[in-house]
Amino acid sequence: MPFSIFVVDRPRPEYGLPVAVIKKDSTSMLFWIKTASHFLLRSWRSTALLTGMVVSAVSSLIFLSSLAMGVNDAMIKNAVSLFSGHISGMNIPENFPAKNLLIHGVAGVVKRVSTPGFLYHGDLMEMVTLICVDPDKEIKFTAMAKKIIKGRYLEAGKNEICLSQPMARQLNSEPGDHLSFFPAKNSDTVELTVAGIYKTGIDQFDRGVSFCTQGALPVQSMPWQAAIFLGNGVDKEIIASQYRKNNTKTMAFKTWAELMPDLEQLISLNYLSMSIVILIVFMVVSSGIACAFSIFILRDIREYGIMKVMGITPVETAFLIFSEVILINFVASSMGVMVGVATVSLFQNIGINLSAYTSYNQYFVVSGMIFPRLTAFSIWMPPASALLFSIPAALWPTVFVIKKNPADILRSI
Amino acid sequence: MIQTKNISKSYQSGRGIKQVLCDVSMSIPGGGTIAVVGKSGSGKTTLLNCIGGLEQPDTGSVNCLGVDLHSLSRRELSYFQRRKMGFIFQSANLLSYLTVFENIAFPLELNHLEKENRVRELLEKIGLPEVISAMPHELSGGETQRVAFARAIAHRPKMLLADEPTANLDTETGALLVKFMFSMCREEGCAIILSTHDHSLMDLSDKTITLLDGKITHAKNNKEV
Repeated sequence: MPFSIFVVDRPRPEYGLPVAVIKKDSTSMLFWIKTASHFLLRSWRSTALLTGMVVSAVSSLIFLSSLAMGVNDAMIKNAVSLFSGHISGMNIPENFPAKNLLIHGVAGVVKRVSTPGFLYHGDLMEMVTLICVDPDKEIKFTAMAKKIIKGRYLEAGKNEICLSQPMARQLNSEPGDHLSFFPAKNSDTVELTVAGIYKTGIDQFDRGVSFCTQGALPVQSMPWQAAIFLGNGVDKEIIASQYRKNNTKTMAFKTWAELMPDLEQLISLNYLSMSIVILIVFMVVSSGIACAFSIFILRDIREYGIMKVMGITPVETAFLIFSEVILINFVASSMGVMVGVATVSLFQNIGINLSAYTSYNQYFVVSGMIFPRLTAFSIWMPPASALLFSIPAALWPTVFVIKKNPADILRSI
Repeated sequence: MIQTKNISKSYQSGRGIKQVLCDVSMSIPGGGTIAVVGKSGSGKTTLLNCIGGLEQPDTGSVNCLGVDLHSLSRRELSYFQRRKMGFIFQSANLLSYLTVFENIAFPLELNHLEKENRVRELLEKIGLPEVISAMPHELSGGETQRVAFARAIAHRPKMLLADEPTANLDTETGALLVKFMFSMCREEGCAIILSTHDHSLMDLSDKTITLLDGKITHAKNNKEV
């Protein structure tokens, strides 16, 4: 006994079919699904065309949304990996161990101590905030070493300094030159060798700041700053709130979004603009899919007309048509997801180099490489949307086929 | 028993209202055969469509096997058609995406009847056992019509409506098909209403009615029923 999907609401024994017989007359879902798949497979050319359309639409939308994620990721990565980290810790007491900040989700903590003072090269003098860093950790977590344009980056255990390009010009210094540093709070002069000259393109780092190795300056009782780097996918707000909760009020922890509200806005703007672009592309593509589905169904109106003559009910007609639409959508969307995921995976590994278009942009100072990133949303949204648009698109031709007199259908073909 | 009472049907077209059927009344006893003849545009197809419930007459009623067809809901009519009626058309109208087997099995599937043996039996009877897996486009015109006939009677309907089934066939093939149809329908106890403009086929039926401009102009009993 096949599973019946149809219910008779009004028994009409007067035409010789008792309710039980009518119920038994309801044809199985499996039969209609099988018939729908015959229709699709045996008209493979038009099925292939429609499938191709859905596949390209779904895969393009997956790639577009992944690309949007990749651009935002690149901006955040560029901004945090140059120097500041995902979270900046400030005013941390000298005796507070850095390892106390290494909580679950934190990839690394880079300790820095800032000392204001004066740099001398012969008769030339510049006011500077000298930031003492651990070169090994900086190389591991930040991109400052990649911004060296002359000489090399700092080496641990040596009394070295890296100057920004404008600072080097002011002091007329080159790598290998010896400079004198007078800390503002200490009269002892420190001799430092210029290891390299860097250029970030960001005023905050190129004006009034220089970097030296930790240990190059005499030990001072000064609070330190921490650049905290998080693991992939870790929420910065959760970690920051844990720090705020667990540590004394004198310490301050700020996320990159708080320190760079302009970047936060830029990312929101990017999300918005990409969402608008995706929505427009999606609407255009969906309209195309909807029209294609309508044409696809109406193309077979002769077949539905013949079936109506043979006595298929309106519900069965609708079930057959929707089976076709859902089957083709399921297959095409699955293929589209596979193509989209494969394309994103490819570019996720090799990246898309946009350096030529980002070299003067402060949020791409480290790298102009974009690595598209898949999210659950970017994977399910396009196929769900294709289905969402194709089902209403199938509604009109279905109603048309159901309402159309079979005699009129057969007369018109 | 099939009975039509004063059925009239008109169409609105660019050339105004065309009266296609005008007060047509007729009756066919169960298992009987009737040929509806007339020129093109005389209303033969419309009459068959009204009898088969494919079109609603403007006035009048069609009583088929004790059921007033046009009082049925769309779904009830579908169930009635799938169980009690079979149709053949001028162009065979096989389902082009289904094989010969699947085409003939379609009404059997709708009625939950045994398929394998019945399809093979019918294909043997129409002399085309070898086309069982063929697609409709692979068949000749005569073969297509024979398969369409097999499909129409597969579920043992009480009434077969054949609208100019020989129109696209040569005279000899057409005559053979109609003879075959009549003999098989008699064997299966199925009434036939056949529309044709081929006068040579009239003598095969029990009764002939002639339509002209939507009116019955002549009715003749060919043999005792």
